[in-house]
Amino acid sequence: MTTGTQGWHADPALLSSYLAGVLDAVTGASVEQHVSRCETCRTAVGGLIEPQLLERTWAGICDAVERPRLPYPLRLARRCGLPEPTLVLLACAASLRGAWLVGAFLSLSFATLAAYASGGTALAPFLLAAPLAPVLGVAAAYGPRQDPLEALIATAPYGRTRLILLRTIAVLVSVLPVTALLGLTVPGPPWIAAAWLGPALALVPVQLALAAFVGPRFAATVLSLVWSGLVLNSLRGSVAPTWPVEVAQQGVYLAVAGAACILIAVRAGSDRQPGVAL
Amino acid sequence: MNGATSTVALTDVGKRYGRTVALAGVDLTFDRGVTGLLGPNGAGKTTLLRIVATSIAADSGEVRLLGRDPHASHADVTAVRRQLGYLPQELGYPSDMTAFGFIEYVAVLKEWNDRERRSREVRRVLEAVGLADRASVRISRLSGGQRRRVGLAQALIGDPQLVVLDEPTTGLDPAQRADLRRTLSALGHRSTVLLSTHQTEDVAALCERVVVLADGAVRFDGAVTDLVATAVGRVWLADEPGEDALVSWRTGTGRHHVVGGRPPPGADPTEPTLEDAYLLTLGSDAQRAHASS
Repeated sequence: MTTGTQGWHADPALLSSYLAGVLDAVTGASVEQHVSRCETCRTAVGGLIEPQLLERTWAGICDAVERPRLPYPLRLARRCGLPEPTLVLLACAASLRGAWLVGAFLSLSFATLAAYASGGTALAPFLLAAPLAPVLGVAAAYGPRQDPLEALIATAPYGRTRLILLRTIAVLVSVLPVTALLGLTVPGPPWIAAAWLGPALALVPVQLALAAFVGPRFAATVLSLVWSGLVLNSLRGSVAPTWPVEVAQQGVYLAVAGAACILIAVRAGSDRQPGVAL
Repeated sequence: MNGATSTVALTDVGKRYGRTVALAGVDLTFDRGVTGLLGPNGAGKTTLLRIVATSIAADSGEVRLLGRDPHASHADVTAVRRQLGYLPQELGYPSDMTAFGFIEYVAVLKEWNDRERRSREVRRVLEAVGLADRASVRISRLSGGQRRRVGLAQALIGDPQLVVLDEPTTGLDPAQRADLRRTLSALGHRSTVLLSTHQTEDVAALCERVVVLADGAVRFDGAVTDLVATAVGRVWLADEPGEDALVSWRTGTGRHHVVGGRPPPGADPTEPTLEDAYLLTLGSDAQRAHASS
């Protein structure tokens, strides 16, 4: 076989076998070498390939170049079987990016470390940070201010409420396990590892209900101040350091969360614009 | 046209923001073709478009979109939204997104779940607005006009039956306007396109029909040529400004373009433009509109 552009050309039968992948390794490699240098044979190969296959291949190449790469946590989620369209929606949420998650993990770690270093007497930093992590994550998921695409999201068939709930669930799924693990290492009563979940889960619906009226940032600020006030109050000595997460208080959180859920449901039912309760 | 079968049928639609009346009992129907909404700031253009785009609800009157009442049920509003393309007046762009990423995000919100079909559609709409070669560029690095075109591209996803564009020509240069004209006239054959603008030239170039809004009410509704015809015999070129003219200004030739009022001495009647007709339709609001344009 010659490789010059003037002399020999591969006949259609040989090219078809090459394209079908049925040539032996040496002949296949020789044809490939030749085709890469011989314009006539390249043109012949082009005529033998199905146009749809070419189109699909080209679309695949465009996709690889143009489609933005998903953030790392979402690539992990894809491996766990999360549907691809959902990942595209979540990629836009700031609090699901690596940087935010690392930040949340670091602040919680320091809070745990502080509790550990004090020998269990300073539970406040952990109790302060742990329930607020999901709330701040939910607030940050909206974007820097409000969602800049608010007007588009509100008029898309997917629905704003559904998008916000999706992001909220994603934040909870990404923040809660880490916080729970850190909670296990906090010195003090063993039930602390689970007890912070009460206020954490209660604050999220309150955040969502409040954000519908005053915006996500203001809502998160108000909740952070209220929760900090509760935790700092428990430091004044009249109550135990675990007071903010004891059974009686958990009941109150549950009631508040229930009220927030009812508020969201009522708004969803009464709002003249279907699908804009949140 | 029978309102019940029109793509958009508004009957006595009203909307207030506090004590401000944004729309005062508007009756309009829209069908296939490109309609321009013209009016000074605060005339109610954006409010009208937001109601048609299911972004806000009217306070009173009846709204029917694609034969449905968008407030009847969640299923109805979703069905309308599946056939809607909307470019809001102010659209924020997440700065770290690429043009492709942004359009793809909106495509998912519009339920394009199949990845391959979605990619093709994203590429098609980027091609339609002339941004195919900028697909992987971050939006923060695009020019204002290009960003506006990215916004327009997302409104074209899925060839919607109803396209609502709030000031689509803002930030576009004349060549881009010509491109937009081509895109919209192709779209107008298949879909109902509503666009708002401050610029009479845009309406003259892009639209078959024009609706002039002022103070929340419809002042004119008809063909662009019919609006121009209303000004015939009421516009002059004169050596001095008209005393009781609605508006008059000195042109490049040194003569005065006089719109409305009595003709000044020695005035020559001249062919009215769409802007003249628009100003005459607005009447007393015209000075305000003219000063702001």
